[in-house]
Amino acid sequence: MPPFEKIEYKPVTVREVLREMKNLSELMIDLAYSAALFNDKDLAEDVLELEKRIDTLAYHLEMTTMVAARDAKDAEALVGVSKVAAAADKISDAAADIAAIVTQNIGVHPIVSEIFERVEERLTKAKVDEKSVLVGKEIGELKLAPRMGVDIIAIFRENDWIINPKNREKVKAGDILIARGTHEGLKELKELCEGKLEKLED
Amino acid sequence: MAEKRTKKFEEIVERFVELKDTSELMIDLAYSSLLLNSKELAEEVQRLEEYMDKLHTEFELQVLSSKFKREEAKGFLGLIRLGVVTEKIADAAAQIAEVVLRGIEPHPVLALAIEEAEETITYTKVTENSPLANKTLREAKIPEETGMWILAIKRGEKCIRPKPDTIIHVGDILIASGYAEGEEDLQKLAAP
Repeated sequence: MPPFEKIEYKPVTVREVLREMKNLSELMIDLAYSAALFNDKDLAEDVLELEKRIDTLAYHLEMTTMVAARDAKDAEALVGVSKVAAAADKISDAAADIAAIVTQNIGVHPIVSEIFERVEERLTKAKVDEKSVLVGKEIGELKLAPRMGVDIIAIFRENDWIINPKNREKVKAGDILIARGTHEGLKELKELCEGKLEKLED
Repeated sequence: MAEKRTKKFEEIVERFVELKDTSELMIDLAYSSLLLNSKELAEEVQRLEEYMDKLHTEFELQVLSSKFKREEAKGFLGLIRLGVVTEKIADAAAQIAEVVLRGIEPHPVLALAIEEAEETITYTKVTENSPLANKTLREAKIPEETGMWILAIKRGEKCIRPKPDTIIHVGDILIASGYAEGEEDLQKLAAP
């Protein structure tokens, strides 16, 4: 068993922790499905790591809400926060369950992955060709979210995963990008990666 | 014969994708119900949760009746487990919606956290001069224009699930999810 992180009370900003829990739990779901479909153990391990992070956040959040409630009225106001945090935690557990399918070598049949990639419209994987206009650009400057409603959630480069890449991260030829977003946006991104589309439209 | 099998697999995977998409829609709707403190949306989440239960059972029966070859079985065990996970996600969404249905006034930090998240939820009322008014969702091309997708439409007390031929009315409240950057574009379209 891996050691659990020791928990000590420290005051946290409820808003920030909730936001991080929401962001992370949703990111984890997409990463976990990607890990299952592309049968990628490293990515699955990363999901399990993120799950530990959420668990720790959940502890801190719960202690902070406990300390914040001074009377019955506070308790009524805060119980919703606590329930929502628990739900985000549950979603991250679900993502970890998906990751475990991969780490325990159960996997998903290649036929399933193949069909899935065809029918699922919110998640895609694309390899960056050397002639792609994206090469050498920072993720932030590509403005993918406002332009086409997509977000790059992970990059596979030199046998390693970069999870939730930062805006300053540069796209390199040979990168495998995992992205989520609207169907139309993902199609566009794929064509940009493959070099079929040579210009970023506004 | 091989073709027939592939078609069967295709049906199974399609049903799974429906489970997956529904469970994720439920999360977005559940957060929306908190953000708007809307019982209608929260009830929609609960309805979807019941629908998920039914869909999940159908999915499992379909997998069980597929007579896999031994070497295929493991790969489909993975798929069955994925199905179980979608249920867990749906439960979590229902749990969020329950907060609203219990009559707990959502604490302001909840709305702040949802609005500040990377994938945000937003809502906007369609005004009379909006180019969206009286268009179908297909014609309105909201995802192409704004990068936001419509989760639900609130029309008075009713909550409508969007379909391509749903017509947008003046006064509708569009509830949408996407990256924060698209929010302003949607506002401009709905209420210019």
